[in-house]
Amino acid sequence: MSTFSGLNTALSGLNAARTGLNTTGQNLTNVNTAGYTRQRAEFSALGTPARGSLNDSGIKVGQGVGVSGISRLGDVFLEARVRTSFSASGYTGVRANALNSIEETLNEPGPNGISSQLQGFWTSWQGVSNTPGDAASSAVLLEKSATLTQSIASGYKAMDAQWSQTRGSADTVVKDINGTAAQVAALNKQIRAATAAGTPNNELIDQRNTLTAKIAQLTGGTTRELPDGTNEILLGGNVLLSGSTSNEVKLFGATKMAQGGPVQLEWAHRPGSAVDLDGGKLAGMLSVLKPAELDGSGGMIAQTAASYNTMARKLADTVNPVYKGGVAPDKTTGNDFFEFTAGVPAALGLTVVPKDAGSIQVGAPNAGGKDGSIAATISQLGIGADSPDTVWSDTVVRLGVEIQSGLQQAVLADMSLNNAVASQQSNASVDIDEENVNLLTYQHAYQAAARVMTAIDEALDVLINQTGRVGR
Amino acid sequence: MLSRVTMTTNSTAAQRGMQANAVKLAEAQLRANTLQKNTRLSDDPAAAADSLAVRAAQAQAAQHARNIDNGDGWLTMANGALDTSVTLLQRVQYLTLQGANGTMTPEAKEAIAAELDSISSELLVQANTKFLGRTIFAGNSDAGFAFKGTPPTFTGEGNSPVVRRISGEATIRVDADGAAIFVNGAESVFEQVSKIAADLRSGADISGSIDTVNAALNNVIGQRSVVGARHAALLRAKDSNVNALVDLESQRASVEDLDLGKAILDLKTQELAYQASLSVTAKVLSTTLMDFLR
Repeated sequence: MSTFSGLNTALSGLNAARTGLNTTGQNLTNVNTAGYTRQRAEFSALGTPARGSLNDSGIKVGQGVGVSGISRLGDVFLEARVRTSFSASGYTGVRANALNSIEETLNEPGPNGISSQLQGFWTSWQGVSNTPGDAASSAVLLEKSATLTQSIASGYKAMDAQWSQTRGSADTVVKDINGTAAQVAALNKQIRAATAAGTPNNELIDQRNTLTAKIAQLTGGTTRELPDGTNEILLGGNVLLSGSTSNEVKLFGATKMAQGGPVQLEWAHRPGSAVDLDGGKLAGMLSVLKPAELDGSGGMIAQTAASYNTMARKLADTVNPVYKGGVAPDKTTGNDFFEFTAGVPAALGLTVVPKDAGSIQVGAPNAGGKDGSIAATISQLGIGADSPDTVWSDTVVRLGVEIQSGLQQAVLADMSLNNAVASQQSNASVDIDEENVNLLTYQHAYQAAARVMTAIDEALDVLINQTGRVGR
Repeated sequence: MLSRVTMTTNSTAAQRGMQANAVKLAEAQLRANTLQKNTRLSDDPAAAADSLAVRAAQAQAAQHARNIDNGDGWLTMANGALDTSVTLLQRVQYLTLQGANGTMTPEAKEAIAAELDSISSELLVQANTKFLGRTIFAGNSDAGFAFKGTPPTFTGEGNSPVVRRISGEATIRVDADGAAIFVNGAESVFEQVSKIAADLRSGADISGSIDTVNAALNNVIGQRSVVGARHAALLRAKDSNVNALVDLESQRASVEDLDLGKAILDLKTQELAYQASLSVTAKVLSTTLMDFLR
């Protein structure tokens, strides 16, 4: 044991305390940095060196303290839980937004919805039946019919616009996914190099975690840590990125709602097979973009648009057969009241045939020129189990329930996300009080190590300068 | 329970609490402003279904009220015309009795005959009474006359009655059959009155016509009571329609409308909760260890 080893021991204490102070400084300065995970300087006591020779004798103490690393106090399980919750909340959030827009375009229940326009339509038939051939009541009927057909058409158009808008956003999300995956791959490359060189890479991992959580929110997916410090993300079992390489995804399928086909995510390098998504915004978008199905299980936008079409057809199928048998004041007969423009969806193509009071077929044949019995019959077609009103009311209630449960799911997913983020933050976030205590501890440790150094220095001073000077 | 509480978790929780309370406050404000129980369809889809049904029934009832008013016009008009016809026929009855008296001079008979002629044409006018351009005794005919020509012939549509819908279940006939009241062809009241006048002028005995006049008068009175009965039914329907409108409105209000007192109480409660979360946040976030270290 050398004379001066005590000084070295004290020096290692000074170094360790300084590293601790620096780490605390890093934590305190990053207290509000998004995604930052608190760090801690790890120390280990340095042991006694091995005996150099047989002559080397006596009991020896350790050699001080060494800084063994700066550890990142993250928890992979909590981080994985945050990603899962992000994936679920991304999915339900997109669906809730789509449902909200549908709800707003419905205007039900209220004076501006289709239901109240249907009422106006039916009652105006009674008005016409009271005064067949009268210009005023016929004008009311024609105007109410036009309003009704326009409402159905504009409801359909709103769905069409929402579909196109969602399709556009889905394209943007896919670009975002590809861009973020490339960023993560680039970070993985740096992390691998840093790990190999043994330099701290805590901040890189924090950045990568933020980006990985973003990918989870966009597409769901599974994240796995790899042994070399990098990670990989799998979408439907296939690699989106692994280490420093990433694969691009692309949207294929319908670009207009009227085309009717599904929209699906495919690998750019392997087109034709759909990527199976398990969550995230993109999965939510693709689910609302699905084409309409006969059993009502299709995507909610196309399904709502389809119910406008059904409504238009139902209206024509209900009114036309009765109306056809009527005779107009100008003796017109055999025409339809509603007809469809060919080549466009029923909701957009629904038009009213008669243009003036004289050609509305209100009366029964051979019952006198002022008969309104056909109009009276039509006015009662809105009542009953299979009437257009019932069909519409069922549609509205079904949508209402769907919207309600969609919003509820979004609220639950948000709560679960909040909890996951709170747990993760509770573990990873910097606490000012705690860091202040650390600061005091390291400060005292520094002072203590300095005191050790002073004590040894004084002892050496006695040995070197005072030895052999007794009695002088 | 969170194992570790930091500045970040504290402030995040505070922010979330404030946001949640602000959202609830905004909802309470919206409800208090609109005074609607459900501002959105998804708030309560079942109530939305009720609301649609009640609004449909309201629209129907409002149209029924218009139908009833229109029918009231028709029946009032028919009632008036038949009333006048009865008075005219009673005069005919009186004049016929007078003319049947054999001691009258030809001049006196001529005077009676002239009055009968004018009554005959006045009866024709009553039979062709119109309401809003429609002949009320001609069914759904668009001919413009119930009786026309010499002798007056019925041109209306006897088998096509004018009906008005007075409720979801019932319709009511608002015209009267001209052919049944005034009788068509040679037996018509106009012809019979003219015939008595002609007989008076020719000096023939008209005592046989007294029974015919009586029968015609009774027929018109009978038809008038039928119209009167329908009118009474229509007026009852009007009363029940007014009641239905009030009932439906109160149903709609109970489904859709929010009680003002409750709305204001909710708003105040939410306001208090919001202010509480603000003041708690201000207290919790202000202190750290740094306040106590030298």
